[in-house]
Amino acid sequence: MPRRRAGRRWRVVGVPVLGAVALVYAFPLYWLLVTALKGEGELYRATPSLFPHEPTLAAFSSVLVTRRFFVLLENSIIVCGATVLIALAIGFAVTYPITRLKVSRRLRVGVLNWALSLRFLPPVAVVVPYFAIVRGLGLYDRPEALVLIYTIFNLPFSIWMLKGFLAEIPPEVEEAAFVDGASRWVAFTRVLLPLAAPGILASGVIIFSFAWSEFLFALILTASPQAQTFPVGVQGLVTQFEIIWNDMAAAGAIAIAVPLGLMVLARRYVLAGLTFGVIRGQ
Amino acid sequence: MKRWVGLSILTGVAVLALAALLASSGLVAAQGAKLVIAAVAGNESLGLKAVAPMYEREHGVKLDIVEMPYPTLYEKLVTTFQAGAPTYDLVMLDDPWMPKFGTEEWLTPLDSTYGFKRDRDIPNVIYEVGTWPPPRGPVPPSEKAKPKHLLGITVVGNVEMFMYRKDLSPAPKSWDEVLTNAKKFNKPGSMAGYVVRGAATNPIVADFLPILWSFGGDVFDANWNVVIDSPASLRAVKFLVQDLKGVAPSGSENIDAADRSRLMAIGQAYQSTVWPGEVTGIVENPKVSKVIGKVGFIPMPAGPSGKGYGMMGNWLLAIPKASKNGGAAAAFITWVTSPKVQKTYAEAGGIPARKSILNDPAMNKANPYFSALAKSLEAVPNWRPRTDQWNAVETILGTNLNATLAGLSTPEEATKKAATEIRALMKKAGY
Amino acid sequence: MESASGSGLQAESASPDRRKRGHGFESRQERLAYAILLPVLGTVFVVVTYPLLFAVGQSLRATRGGDFVGLQNYASALENPLLYDALGATGIYAGIVLPTEILAGLGLALLVHRTVRSPRARLALYVFATIPIVIPPVAVGVIARLIYAPGYGVLNHLLMLAGVVQAEIPWLSRRDTAMLAVSSVDVWQWTPFVYLVFFAGLQTVPRESIDAAQVDGATGWTMFSRIELPYLRPLFLMVLFWRIADVLRVFDHIFILTGGGPGSTTQLLSVYLYRVAFKFFDTGEAAALAVMVMLAMSLLYAAATRLLPLERD
Repeated sequence: MPRRRAGRRWRVVGVPVLGAVALVYAFPLYWLLVTALKGEGELYRATPSLFPHEPTLAAFSSVLVTRRFFVLLENSIIVCGATVLIALAIGFAVTYPITRLKVSRRLRVGVLNWALSLRFLPPVAVVVPYFAIVRGLGLYDRPEALVLIYTIFNLPFSIWMLKGFLAEIPPEVEEAAFVDGASRWVAFTRVLLPLAAPGILASGVIIFSFAWSEFLFALILTASPQAQTFPVGVQGLVTQFEIIWNDMAAAGAIAIAVPLGLMVLARRYVLAGLTFGVIRGQ
Repeated sequence: MKRWVGLSILTGVAVLALAALLASSGLVAAQGAKLVIAAVAGNESLGLKAVAPMYEREHGVKLDIVEMPYPTLYEKLVTTFQAGAPTYDLVMLDDPWMPKFGTEEWLTPLDSTYGFKRDRDIPNVIYEVGTWPPPRGPVPPSEKAKPKHLLGITVVGNVEMFMYRKDLSPAPKSWDEVLTNAKKFNKPGSMAGYVVRGAATNPIVADFLPILWSFGGDVFDANWNVVIDSPASLRAVKFLVQDLKGVAPSGSENIDAADRSRLMAIGQAYQSTVWPGEVTGIVENPKVSKVIGKVGFIPMPAGPSGKGYGMMGNWLLAIPKASKNGGAAAAFITWVTSPKVQKTYAEAGGIPARKSILNDPAMNKANPYFSALAKSLEAVPNWRPRTDQWNAVETILGTNLNATLAGLSTPEEATKKAATEIRALMKKAGY
Repeated sequence: MESASGSGLQAESASPDRRKRGHGFESRQERLAYAILLPVLGTVFVVVTYPLLFAVGQSLRATRGGDFVGLQNYASALENPLLYDALGATGIYAGIVLPTEILAGLGLALLVHRTVRSPRARLALYVFATIPIVIPPVAVGVIARLIYAPGYGVLNHLLMLAGVVQAEIPWLSRRDTAMLAVSSVDVWQWTPFVYLVFFAGLQTVPRESIDAAQVDGATGWTMFSRIELPYLRPLFLMVLFWRIADVLRVFDHIFILTGGGPGSTTQLLSVYLYRVAFKFFDTGEAAALAVMVMLAMSLLYAAATRLLPLERD
């Protein structure tokens, strides 16, 4: 039958291609981990070794303890957490009206358009005035400045994703609550929020990941471990006066592990969110 | 409707509470006797990091050393000073940055405010490099009327030197000899004749300036006219990007200090310029080096002009005006440059600036480059042009040198382009 | 019932009771909506727009001294040949990265859609595909350094082991290879995103259409172009604009991998702006550049909203 033959042809091509793709993605991550597990002496071999001859966690302890990157880790978690809370709150404040209330199509489209426009804002252009403003407000080297900026840049995502998830929930659900005598607020908190919980979780994880990855503003607007975030620390290890590739790799590995861990934990919900609400976790 | 007003107020309160939480956590962290030092990431800070616990034990003051890569440190210092933020109590600055910081008056004078006096054991040139306006050489037009002040004291006595495998050949006396030896020992794939530190901006300029001066060229003349496109300068450029590149390993355009020292340490390089920090951290580091005892250190070889010009690259400790702990910071500077501490500092891998330590025979055994360093300091090495625009000039020159090293332009084009851009820059800056 | 872009629920599913109640109820809902939206959007609008206006102000002042100098900063920004190098570099980067990501993403989506049947395998692939997206670009830059750097980069080592090359390739030192290196990082990180979008889009193609087409004897190309492509077209544009917006903002991994070099080959627009603002500290010219970039982005955005189906009613 034509279907089966076509399937077989695809499979012949498919398996090696997928295998190659898997290799292309797995190897760099493997290499990062391997480099992070090498001791200082191993970095002085004539050619790089593909597995560590004497694997050690020295690089990780050097990064977290000796270089005190655990402070940067804390900063990142606090800043990203605050960003998630505020971005979601504002996101709800914007998407609730346009999905649950009867508003003109123009308003709805207008808000979504404006959210999209924020996505086109290049950070490096905005950082020029922001630097001067932050200075003027006395917020230089303060985590609050970062929270403010990260919230703004993640609002588009928050709005888009919450809109997608909220729009999926039929209005009948809320109407049932109204019929039972609940006020709008109660319907929101007792009925809508629990139903939207997977969406909120997904949005939260994604916003956290994007805020976690942010580098340029953190680099410009912070100056000390008081407010520096982890990505700034990672870049700080790309130094030309020392051979510390293992430390650099360890920092990179930790930087990847945090959002990755969150992503894996919340995978089902996140997938739906990332693709503009097109698919649901299967 | 009222519920929604309530909701927005609630949200506002929550946000403010969050902000307050963050703010208070910041405040709490600021208490306690401590000094925040902005330092450069790398071997140059080894000594500082080693003596910090000692200071804490002796004086009860904690040192928070914030390390940053070289280019980031400069940018961070400028942005912090522009913001007038009291973030740093002490800053480690590379001496070429002194003109900018001095012109903008971001540093507290050590002599008039804290009573620092000259110590005979410290070479005079060290005090000169930390003084603004500069006591000799061309002075930027806007600075001519200012009184001279000591703004920083050297904590890393860096002078750029030359290293070569002394077990393979005697010391080269001139750059021509350097090239001859390089060609003799160059074996692509196993030993490079000379390693060009060619990464763009600061690295390649640092590698290039001693060669430029030895050939009789320069970036500016005594009146701030740009002379990087003079015939002597052009010859120096060609020597670097054609002759030396011919005996250098591939990828020079991205090789920086630690990379070339590493090649030396694993026996894959025959000679190169070197900063003392790389020596203690890599080339003579018993934990990683395979060539201990085989490397000779000498002042810069001479060029066609007949003279060899070493280049200063001191790291100075200075106190920002915005710091709230000036007194404590000054006390630390006095402590760390005292003879007793400098000895411990040097033993830990730091680079001292005291003649007594550099000429001490016991210390010389442990650190073979000390006598070369002492000689370089005595010979009064050159320093980089004392202009507040130096960082921009270095970026322009370094980018163009890097481009011609990579073969993207000819040396003639590169020098012309650099000269034009630098002229425009200096004009805009009022020179 | 799934909807591709969360289209207006209100119009379709308003119950008959709702409609009967008429204007009073609807306008009350609208008033409530505006009551919530106005303060929130208003605040955000101010917080976002103020810096833009501030930047305009900065761009009209001299860097040294702050006197009003009119359009002088714009003139000097436009006279600098490095600006055009940066635009060119950005164009080349986009020209490499966008087609590669879209074609590769689409190809992989089709491949998996056709060959991988088990839902568990598909879910596993979903999870794997989201991994590169959440990796911080600085970390990807670090990985790229460990692969491409001279001396310790593992790529040369692997190529020499495999016998493909005899001598080290100086990836970051040559114009063409440096651009390829930074582009490869972008492709590596973002192709999975494109894959996810298209794969999800392929899922929305109704089973009946596929079956009907197969009964009619449709094969490979026809199946794709007649049946699946129409469902993918809106996603295609969406992905294109999203990626273009991202490519024009790219900074982190280039900063770490090449810093803009060799020369100014990989000095893309954001790297160039960074150089003017934070290496040369020329605030006036940087602000002028920032304003021009933002103007260009608004044009792009205007084009995006015209062409993108944001709301499918």
